[in-house]
Amino acid sequence: MKTVLKIALGIIAALGGFLDIGDIVFNTQAGALFRYDLLWAVVLGTLGIAVYAEMCGRVAAVTGRPVFDVIRMRLGFGLGLAALIASTAVNLLTVAAELGGLAIVLQLLFDAEFSLFVVLAAIGLVIVVALLPFGGIERLFGYCGLLMIVFVATAINQGPDWGAVAQGFVPSLSSSTLYLYFVVGVFAAALMPYEVHFYSSGAVEEHWDESSLKENRLNAIIGYALGGVLACSLVVVSGYLFHPVGVDPSDLGTAALPAQNAYGETGLLLALGGIMFCVGGAAVDSSFSASYNLAQFLGWEWGRYRGPKKAPRFTASWLVFLFLAMLVVLSGINPVEITEYSVVFAVVALPMTYLPVLMIAGDRSFMGDHANGPISRTLGWTYFALILVLALAALPLLLATNGGGG
Amino acid sequence: MNREPLSVAHRLLDEQILDSEGRRCGRVDDIELRGNPPRITALLVGEGLYPRRLPARLRGLARRLAGPERWGANALRIPWEEVDEIGASVVLRGKAEELGLGAADNPERWLVRRLPWN
Repeated sequence: MKTVLKIALGIIAALGGFLDIGDIVFNTQAGALFRYDLLWAVVLGTLGIAVYAEMCGRVAAVTGRPVFDVIRMRLGFGLGLAALIASTAVNLLTVAAELGGLAIVLQLLFDAEFSLFVVLAAIGLVIVVALLPFGGIERLFGYCGLLMIVFVATAINQGPDWGAVAQGFVPSLSSSTLYLYFVVGVFAAALMPYEVHFYSSGAVEEHWDESSLKENRLNAIIGYALGGVLACSLVVVSGYLFHPVGVDPSDLGTAALPAQNAYGETGLLLALGGIMFCVGGAAVDSSFSASYNLAQFLGWEWGRYRGPKKAPRFTASWLVFLFLAMLVVLSGINPVEITEYSVVFAVVALPMTYLPVLMIAGDRSFMGDHANGPISRTLGWTYFALILVLALAALPLLLATNGGGG
Repeated sequence: MNREPLSVAHRLLDEQILDSEGRRCGRVDDIELRGNPPRITALLVGEGLYPRRLPARLRGLARRLAGPERWGANALRIPWEEVDEIGASVVLRGKAEELGLGAADNPERWLVRRLPWN
């Protein structure tokens, strides 16, 4: 029993940062616009991140190499540098989006000036990182992010037409560019690249070795299944409440309203709390990822476990990334808009992250017996092909739909 | 070191370098070959070498941004004899400071060393 609990807690900690502002924005809007029709895209994206996270975690456990270590090894300096620049730009936009989201939630909870909360949110994250060790940071955001379960409860409480919900899991395409834009958005929001950057670097931070492979597999299967349920519940509650009345949930606060509708003020507070910890965790994950990538590509010492004294360049770059993201939010661009750009540009940068991972994970000279088996290989390359198609479609769709504005 | 054949481009170039104490202190940015038949005589490390790793069209621009290669400063030569092991990373026999590697991670240079999360 004790080990089961320990495993469960580990899985939940690893789940922190999976649901982020991208999922909340895209899934809520997808529900409002297309009711339950896009649930299949959520499942497709969640399965994709599970496949790649498992692979990245396995590579990190067996070889001690996180993602950008692998990218430099397989793409070389020139192409690797292009991947680094693209990923850093996307990660920076993501940090800005999460920070903005955090500030919006704080503003809804304690009514005051938005820009004040942006600065307070950034300072708060620095304090959390300063006070807690790596595992503690993961646990704080992972456990508290579970407040999002209020959306699952809300979905059940609403009692939607479950037949219609089930129909949503059957993939369907339509010629509407707005629909296709949301297919890409919902899929990509689940597959944000910072998640695997962070997850694989975290494996090194926590000294994973081959004995951690079981934990890695459980994180991928059970953790992401739970994450997928939470992500689907966002679509369902929004589809139930907003779709019939044609509400456009263009700000983050609207995403929490279904919980208020079901459970009153308590529901609202739980939902806002859940969003706050998810988005806060994602802000930490994505800002760490930006510094992990830079340090790993250039061969610097890195890691929260090393501390600023042993890894000063890593620490300084983290503070710089956080500061730059803060400036982006303070520039006055709507965080929801930043979110949409970060998700769409992430799709474009995804292939460069995933190709080297696939190459190393399948390479027996590195991985020995833990190289990709037939299942991982088939799923990995199928998803890679899918990601390539979406990467080509993402920007035209963004332009054609005017950023999802229709 | 074991004597099994090793693909240089596959397992050596761009690899992470660790010193004898496990400190990460750079990557194999280039490899020096000498003699006939050519033998690896040194690993070359440092940001001054980055421009030569870029495609020819970008090299001029990168050189102008990064400045020239200055041996002993932004481009270091690690003699092959210093290499202890090539496994998951390239492990050196000596400490990073003695070889001049990872000097930019010297805490004395950085204010962040005083941050409380050490």
